Amino acid sequence: MPQFLILNSAFLAMHIPDGFLSLPILGVTWISTIGLITISLKQVESDYQDRTVPLMGVCAAFIFAAQMINFPIPGGTSGHLLGGTLAGVLLGPWAGSLVMSVVFMVQGFVFQDGGITAMGANIFNMGLIGTFGGYYLFRTVRNLVGQGLRGIVVGTAIASWFSVVTASAIAAIQLAISGTVPLLIGMTAMVGWHVMIGVGEALVTVATVTFIWRSRPDLLYTSSKKMNSELLR
Amino acid sequence: MPHSHSHSFHSHTDHHDNHHSHSHNTIAPTTRIVCTLIMVVAIVATPDAHWLTWLIYGCGIIVLLGMSQVDLFKLYQRFAVESIFVSVSVLGILFRDGEGIFWQWGFLKITLTGLLVFGSVLCKLGLTLVLMNLLTLTIPIPVLLQSLSILRVPPLLIAILGSMYRYLDLLVEEFTTMRRAAIARNLLAGKRWQRLVIGNMIGSLFIRTYDRGNRIHQSMVSRGYQGALPLPKSLKISWRDRLAFGFTILFAIVGQVAFYS
Repeated sequence: MPQFLILNSAFLAMHIPDGFLSLPILGVTWISTIGLITISLKQVESDYQDRTVPLMGVCAAFIFAAQMINFPIPGGTSGHLLGGTLAGVLLGPWAGSLVMSVVFMVQGFVFQDGGITAMGANIFNMGLIGTFGGYYLFRTVRNLVGQGLRGIVVGTAIASWFSVVTASAIAAIQLAISGTVPLLIGMTAMVGWHVMIGVGEALVTVATVTFIWRSRPDLLYTSSKKMNSELLR
Repeated sequence: MPHSHSHSFHSHTDHHDNHHSHSHNTIAPTTRIVCTLIMVVAIVATPDAHWLTWLIYGCGIIVLLGMSQVDLFKLYQRFAVESIFVSVSVLGILFRDGEGIFWQWGFLKITLTGLLVFGSVLCKLGLTLVLMNLLTLTIPIPVLLQSLSILRVPPLLIAILGSMYRYLDLLVEEFTTMRRAAIARNLLAGKRWQRLVIGNMIGSLFIRTYDRGNRIHQSMVSRGYQGALPLPKSLKISWRDRLAFGFTILFAIVGQVAFYS
């Protein structure tokens, strides 16, 4: 199937460029993205207070740097981290999705990687679905498996694989509704490809989170962090 | 897209050392951003196969390029790198299913629908890329961020964006150093091993990053930072800005209407 080969490497980072999405899709995704950013700004500011600017800034730069490195993906190709679930697991749903949104904004505005009009959709897919969804899936699985390292590993693996695959499926649906790429082709190419990308994402995310859990477990996000920071004041 | 990042990262940071074009510096950066966004939306919102509209917009952009005195070779370099990455996805559209077979070779076929959508996406993509590159080549990123605050983007978000942009170079360099160290120790040879090492590297980078963030915060506090952010400067709108703004809207509408006449 030629479409498969051609689309394959295109949406590696799922940065949809300008001109691929129709106006209704752009509108809906922009509105949800602005909502997400507004709420997460408020949440993060109340959680981190005057640490918000330096911490969120460097963490966004961290995700950007982590996305740059290539690693082999089972199946013979190579890819790089998308980092949505990683950001969610490390920083929590609000700070995580805020950091991912900031990464997409800088990539879109400064590097023209992902369109300006499609920025809403890109943040919606990776920030809302990838990070927010990824975090809550991680937490659900972790609560089912157990609170120790096993729970973290299983939770991270499942959440990062699912978040990548789901985000790609939603991108394919958006492209199909816009009339740019038919649903069948989009789904086979995007989702089929991201099933493999997701395996690489899961392996590297698990290695990262395990490393942090072993060396600095205090840095992993816990929902009680807010309480701690209030105690400290 | 890691290569596009690393490549464009340098080409994007380089241009700060150079002098910016002076010709439309008389128009405020805020106005230039708003006008660019209006044009980008107009280009993207144009229905498929409205070739005349894009032709008019394209001519306008060429005139703008001439007026801006931007380094055309630099623009071309950036455009080339960026379009390599998007062109792959555009090709996927060319071979989509649709009505009216235009060309067929084995199982590869180009339909008329495919050709229409392909051409339309190509026009939108090319024009928006040139416009956005023109904007970022003529406005330094710190000024771009300042202008966003005048445009009612939340100051906290802009502060985070600025903080990220400031530490981007540093973290990318730190990661490159770690990677070089891993290669020097032959740690990135095996495939399975490689993923583990990269995972550990990312983990280690996060620990360093988080600690760095806390250190930055402490030094900010020691300089009197209390979480309050500087308020955006009030906007002075000159007649040039009004003229540019009005002309952009008129031009966008004329482009759309021209197709139907």
